[in-house]
Amino acid sequence: MWKSVFYKEWLKIRWFIVGYTLLGVLGIGYMFLALKHSFAFTEGENMWHLALFQGHQFYSHFKFVPLAGGLTIAFTQYLPETINKRLKLTFHLPLAENKILLIMQAFGACSLLVSFLIFFGLFTGFSLIYFPVQMVSNSLITISPWMLAGFAAYFIIVLIILEPKWIFRFCYLLIGGFFMTIYFTLDGTAAYSHANSGLFILTVLLSVTFVFSAYRFRKGEA
Amino acid sequence: MWYILIFIGVLTLAIFLPKLYWIAFEKPPRKPFILYSCVNNEFMIHRIGERVWVDTKGKQYSREEYEQKLPMMFYKQLLASGSMPDSIRGTALDMHAILREKSFFRLKANEIDAPRPELYPLFESRTGRAYLELPEDFFRITWRIEFIEATTNKIQEEKSQLFSAALFHNGFSFPAKFISGLPTFRKSCDEGYLIVDSKDQLFHLKMIKGKPFVKKIDVPEGVKFKHISCVDFNNKDFYAYLFSDKNEIYILTQANYKLINWAIEGYDPANCDLKIFGDLLNYTVIIEANDHQKAIALDKQYEIVDTYTEKWLVKEDMQEDWIFASLFPAQLSMTSDNSKFIRFYFTPSKGFDWIFLNLLLVAFHFIWLLKRKTKLKSHLADLGIVGISGIYGLIAIHLFQNKFFD
Repeated sequence: MWKSVFYKEWLKIRWFIVGYTLLGVLGIGYMFLALKHSFAFTEGENMWHLALFQGHQFYSHFKFVPLAGGLTIAFTQYLPETINKRLKLTFHLPLAENKILLIMQAFGACSLLVSFLIFFGLFTGFSLIYFPVQMVSNSLITISPWMLAGFAAYFIIVLIILEPKWIFRFCYLLIGGFFMTIYFTLDGTAAYSHANSGLFILTVLLSVTFVFSAYRFRKGEA
Repeated sequence: MWYILIFIGVLTLAIFLPKLYWIAFEKPPRKPFILYSCVNNEFMIHRIGERVWVDTKGKQYSREEYEQKLPMMFYKQLLASGSMPDSIRGTALDMHAILREKSFFRLKANEIDAPRPELYPLFESRTGRAYLELPEDFFRITWRIEFIEATTNKIQEEKSQLFSAALFHNGFSFPAKFISGLPTFRKSCDEGYLIVDSKDQLFHLKMIKGKPFVKKIDVPEGVKFKHISCVDFNNKDFYAYLFSDKNEIYILTQANYKLINWAIEGYDPANCDLKIFGDLLNYTVIIEANDHQKAIALDKQYEIVDTYTEKWLVKEDMQEDWIFASLFPAQLSMTSDNSKFIRFYFTPSKGFDWIFLNLLLVAFHFIWLLKRKTKLKSHLADLGIVGISGIYGLIAIHLFQNKFFD
């Protein structure tokens, strides 16, 4: 049965996740093409100096790309389910209600993970062509909270969409919006070295909060 | 799930409510600008917001009088107004000497607790050119020193081996704990890097005509340097200010690699900013903590000639902080003035006044539950959460309502 749920979710998000991943890959391609151009015109040592001592981040355009991914997948996966409360049909499937939702959520999160892993791999691979491992490692520390923000946005939007009452949707949006800013507090390279593990734990905790809204959705707001 | 949402809610509110509160009510502290006057041998204070110029005894001066007491700082103004003295304490005020001896150094706490670059450019110290040029390679020190060419991102094996051997033969113990230099071509000359090795030994490394220059520096017994700031002052008296793990300040002389300890007390690099003004006759060291400023004047032999401390009202002393401490049990922040790292900085509120509001909020929530005729037994956790986290918990509970247990 879980395969059928996976397939149903795939049908909903396939074009969006594929399109988003392609756009992301193209964006990363452009980013490194621009970097190659800068290396050719500005000289490698100047580019390194800018990155090491003047806080220049050639990847700064990537900042909100994972966030956009999280929002896209959350809306495409769950918005159709809430129109006319179609999700209630899903609850008639011969599977525990929470289990179905968990499978749906796992599918969405895994799709994002695959997408982000592709970005992460491409970013790391291309970066290692131009920069030594210390600089690449600091770049990865810098982009990690942006990646986590993609997942957090996905989980928060699911929580909001599944909530049946508009007033509470607004409340969740308020807290969720403020919460999201902690992933983007400072832009400094490697500034999140000591915070990434904490943010990772918070993001994992967020991943199961949809059950709260789902319960209220099932009960038609208790 | 509900507990997780409450936890996220409390965490978010504990970051943003205090932030909003302080944006609305914080008042800037009135920090004075203090300098040692070589004319009347005492500290002169400029209270910037009030446009008042006084000495430590409270005697008021006009702006012009104040500037005349600090000729090394305001020499341009005094020259323009024709009131620059010819000599002070028997020392002729030659403009070249004033400019040569004038220096300013600043070190903020957040420059010490900050991400480090790990790669540095080693300039050619004797290029024979008027301007310095950025080298094509950068070095890192791991199990050896490695030079990596920026254009190709490849290790320069020959140069790496040459410099690694030079460091090794001088007793350097890899890897490096701290590397300090001036990694910019906007400096008068290059003096390379001061490096603390894994055994807390101090080395000076530079490149002269493509060859390594390594000098092991004698460090006093038991002294370990945790931060070094290299300087490029006109008088070339010293290479750097060095800060030990016991919060002592040293300088490293350029003439004979001598480490001189400035007998300065009260400086904690973790939460103080440091400013050092140097001139022809004195150094004025300013240690700026959260609630006070300590000014220390030294002569050119680095002996202390005078000190002065002034406190000011900080937000902890103000009524706004008492109100804050009554409203919020604690505050969480992602940033700190003393660091460039993002962390979860937790600061409990001063005192326990917040307990009264927490109890009041517990009572409010209890009445609210009674009015809604909910099962109180299912909501005991609510009351506990409000009791501990106060206003944060109450808001979080009402935003994420505990409907599971009804």
